[in-house]
Amino acid sequence: MNVSDNSSIINNLSNDEKLLLKRLIAIKNEKATVTELEDKDMPSVAINRAALGLESKRLITIKESLKKRIIITKEGKSLKKSVPEREVGEKIVSSGCKVVFLDDLGIDKRVVGIAMGWLRKREWAIVSKEDGKIKVSLTEKGIKELSSPSWIQEILSKVEKECVYLDEGISSEQYSILKGRKAVDIREEKERYLELEVRGREIAPEELLVHKKISQLTAELLRNNKWRDCEFKRFDVSLPVKRIYPGKKQPYLAFLDDLRSTLVALGFQEMRGPLIETEFWNFDALFQPQNHPARDWTDTYRLIHPKKGHLIDEGVVQAVKAAHESSWKYMWGPEKARNLMPRAHGTCLSARQLQMGIEVPGKYFSIARCFRPDVLDKTHLIEFNQIEGIICDPSLNFKNLLGVLKQFAIEIAGAKDVRFYPDYYPFTEPSVQMSAKHPELGWVEFGGAGIFRKELTEPLDVSIPVIAWGLGVDRLAMFKLEIDDIRFLFSDDIVWLRDEAMI
Amino acid sequence: MPTITISKDDISRLLGKEISLEELDELILYAKGEIDGVDGDLIKVDQKDTNRPDLWSTEGIVRQLRGTLGVESGMPNYEIIKSDINIYVDPLLKDVRPCCVNAVVKGLDIDEAFLSQIIQLQEKIALTFGRKRREVAVGIIDFDKITPPIYYKATKPDENAFIPLAFEKPLTPRDILERHPKGKEYRHLVDKSEIYPILVDSDGVVLTMPPIINSEHTGKVTTETKNIFIDVTGFNIETLKTALNVIVSAFAERGGKVYSVTVNYPDESISVPDMTPVTFSIEKQYICSTLGIDLDNSDIIRLLGNMRYDATIKDETISVTYLPYRKDIMHASDVIEDICIAYGYNNILPETPTLYTIGRQLPISRKLLIARELMIGLGFQEIVSFTLSNNEALFGKMRLSRPDDIVEIENPVAVSWSVLRNWLTPSLMAFLSKNTHHDYPQNLFEVSEVVSTDENKETMVDSRYKLAFSICHSQANYTKAREVLDSFMLNTGISYCVETDTHPSFLDGRIGKIMVNGKERGIIGEIHPEVIENWGIESPIAIVEFELEKILE
Repeated sequence: MNVSDNSSIINNLSNDEKLLLKRLIAIKNEKATVTELEDKDMPSVAINRAALGLESKRLITIKESLKKRIIITKEGKSLKKSVPEREVGEKIVSSGCKVVFLDDLGIDKRVVGIAMGWLRKREWAIVSKEDGKIKVSLTEKGIKELSSPSWIQEILSKVEKECVYLDEGISSEQYSILKGRKAVDIREEKERYLELEVRGREIAPEELLVHKKISQLTAELLRNNKWRDCEFKRFDVSLPVKRIYPGKKQPYLAFLDDLRSTLVALGFQEMRGPLIETEFWNFDALFQPQNHPARDWTDTYRLIHPKKGHLIDEGVVQAVKAAHESSWKYMWGPEKARNLMPRAHGTCLSARQLQMGIEVPGKYFSIARCFRPDVLDKTHLIEFNQIEGIICDPSLNFKNLLGVLKQFAIEIAGAKDVRFYPDYYPFTEPSVQMSAKHPELGWVEFGGAGIFRKELTEPLDVSIPVIAWGLGVDRLAMFKLEIDDIRFLFSDDIVWLRDEAMI
Repeated sequence: MPTITISKDDISRLLGKEISLEELDELILYAKGEIDGVDGDLIKVDQKDTNRPDLWSTEGIVRQLRGTLGVESGMPNYEIIKSDINIYVDPLLKDVRPCCVNAVVKGLDIDEAFLSQIIQLQEKIALTFGRKRREVAVGIIDFDKITPPIYYKATKPDENAFIPLAFEKPLTPRDILERHPKGKEYRHLVDKSEIYPILVDSDGVVLTMPPIINSEHTGKVTTETKNIFIDVTGFNIETLKTALNVIVSAFAERGGKVYSVTVNYPDESISVPDMTPVTFSIEKQYICSTLGIDLDNSDIIRLLGNMRYDATIKDETISVTYLPYRKDIMHASDVIEDICIAYGYNNILPETPTLYTIGRQLPISRKLLIARELMIGLGFQEIVSFTLSNNEALFGKMRLSRPDDIVEIENPVAVSWSVLRNWLTPSLMAFLSKNTHHDYPQNLFEVSEVVSTDENKETMVDSRYKLAFSICHSQANYTKAREVLDSFMLNTGISYCVETDTHPSFLDGRIGKIMVNGKERGIIGEIHPEVIENWGIESPIAIVEFELEKILE
């Protein structure tokens, strides 16, 4: 086995595995039990886990052996308290004579029999009869052993407190004596021991660099180059973590941003106008007569304050007045036109653009916030956005209008098919309503469009065809965002905003 | 747009051809209608054109469908039979309700379906075309119960009592305005003067009190009625003539014979209905270039015929003739739309124009997007809320008194949406108050338009974009908000400073005004605990709001 093999093995070892391997190599016979190896730095649990790891890398083998553990018996426990022959012998010693008559010692008769037997057996005393009385005379061996501690009691108390195995802390001779006195018994136990394998033996202990375990890499570790001596605590990468919230675009606005990009990509310039409009731009300039149902084309808000705006361009005002009076046959008045209102549609922006001047060819759009008096519910908003747009060019015709609408349906709505229906708007003729077939929503009304009437364009000094449309985008946004309640477009639910996927 | 109810059986009978619902769904488009609901035989139709009352009835729809299906073609032939029936108009009505036009229709066979159409057309004309009876009111009288000549005259409030419809006892005109449901509903149309208009016959029988109510005796049309007298009153004789033409044309479609009435004004007499055809010239080239389709002469004549026009062509100029139940034709484009409808919108192949133009967003749109993306980069959740708000949210809960420059709605749907906001902070507060049980920190921002009055503006209102952000969590404070503001300003290249200020919505000593180029452009501070309490929130909030559009200019 060469070095590179070793180093790849070592790199795959955990800190504990390295420690354990190191300890095993240090032991002469290259094998040891778990008990022998454990200490406070490496408890048996850690050893067992590391041993399994080392074994799986074929560096060690885990083996088991049977061991004979000495167990103290009930008799042994009483023997630990008192050994009869020692009790008798010590009494004799303390009497000061080597030879005594047993009766003179006043010993419990129950003990005497056993004690006499063992005094003789252990050759501690010679027992004889003299004048019918039992005479005990201590031998030299007896005197000597009685003056040293009682090995029987020592061993028994050790057996009681610790693990004592045969031939480990107790000799076979001692065991057979104690066994003969029924003081101990043997219980067989399995013991796990670890043995170095050939591969393990080939590893030099100095190769086994044991690192410090850390959970967080720090600047200091990097600065001091200490990280090289560290082992990074292994994380359970499958565990869930605490949720964090990014800064995020509002989903509806994100949708409108995309829409703006698409329209710019299609060559449209953006228009903007005031949220509060005069009726002049909201209605009059759009050829909606002041006292006619066409003005009720949609319900609208009025303002208490401020009430009246200004009509700035007198030329346009006179031209609009003339168009109304000659076509609708009534007296047009500027007072009503000065009334202020939150704009009801985006078409006023197109009218303003025509008045400000247009490029030819020109394409214009606006994503316009509009206001109509609806009750807020699942399908109605009190404010909504409309994509308003116009294209101006001498070449334009109704067929082109249908082409643009179809392009929008496909580019913006992802529609597969479109259908066109006659419709009515006071400011366009011909007028058209488009339905687009959405793959999932089915046929959806997409919005109204038409060619601006001459009565609208001419007073604004535009003499070429202008095709125009105002499309509702909210339903489309609902589809893109997969919501069935339109109020979510203006959601005040932070959970929804946080959960909504951005792609 | 008016919604009308028609009967499928009735339509089939008038067309002389059984029509299925599917067919009708398609065909109704040619009459600018759209089916909105079906209830057995009865079909609800949205009539899209507010300027085409001639299409607001079964009879009008059938007239168009006869053309579409080729049952008839060209201008309908409605004969107006001359009669010697006279009506005399009282000059005293000059300032009350000066004009009146009339007609008599005879030989009617009225069934339930027909009757319901008569009532509906009368109502829709008065409601939509007649601006809730102000401009046009229509009365239909049983001609057999009256004796001409008729007098359209002024009455004093306590004279000429008659039994109004649905009543049993005679009421004076004054009582009608005070007690009859229709009187109460429409009295504002007449009660500015001390005389009211009524129609009486030569026996002094009251026919009707326009624009309020017919008499029970003469003004109740039933399936027994054979001959009727129509009165249309209002202010503009041309408008009234159109309304009368629409009504008699409908009766004529049902086979009624229309008789003229001579209306005698003090200075002139006119014979109505006036069904003199109107002629209009259009260049053929203009039709084709407007629609973008090539049509030959015979196509144009046929398509116009389908739409109930007579047409002839001479030297590429088309002379179009139609009956004056239509008043909507002001320009060639109105006729061109009819040609287009007859051709079929979906038979035109859409063609995207190939115009080279350069797309551009507004400079402000680009800047707003950058500002928003910067706030997102600073970790803020974007929100969008309504411009409409209310005094309580904008001022009451914010410990403010309402300033004078507030834009307020006269006819709000609900008080909660009655004022257009002049600042965004209350919208952030409202949002936070709805989310008190969700994870904090809740760091929000909004870039939206706000409005306030401005006498220098054309619309007396200044609307511009502001930016507001809020920091809301247990450690939110002035410093944290200031760090974000600082970062925002640094990254947008705007130099600013903050000066000590006071503001009732913010905690004293933790509030400053944001100065840019020596002008006050915004506010930064910790929200006053009382304001936080008012919104039911239990966390400190630091807010910054400033005039984004103005500082980006």
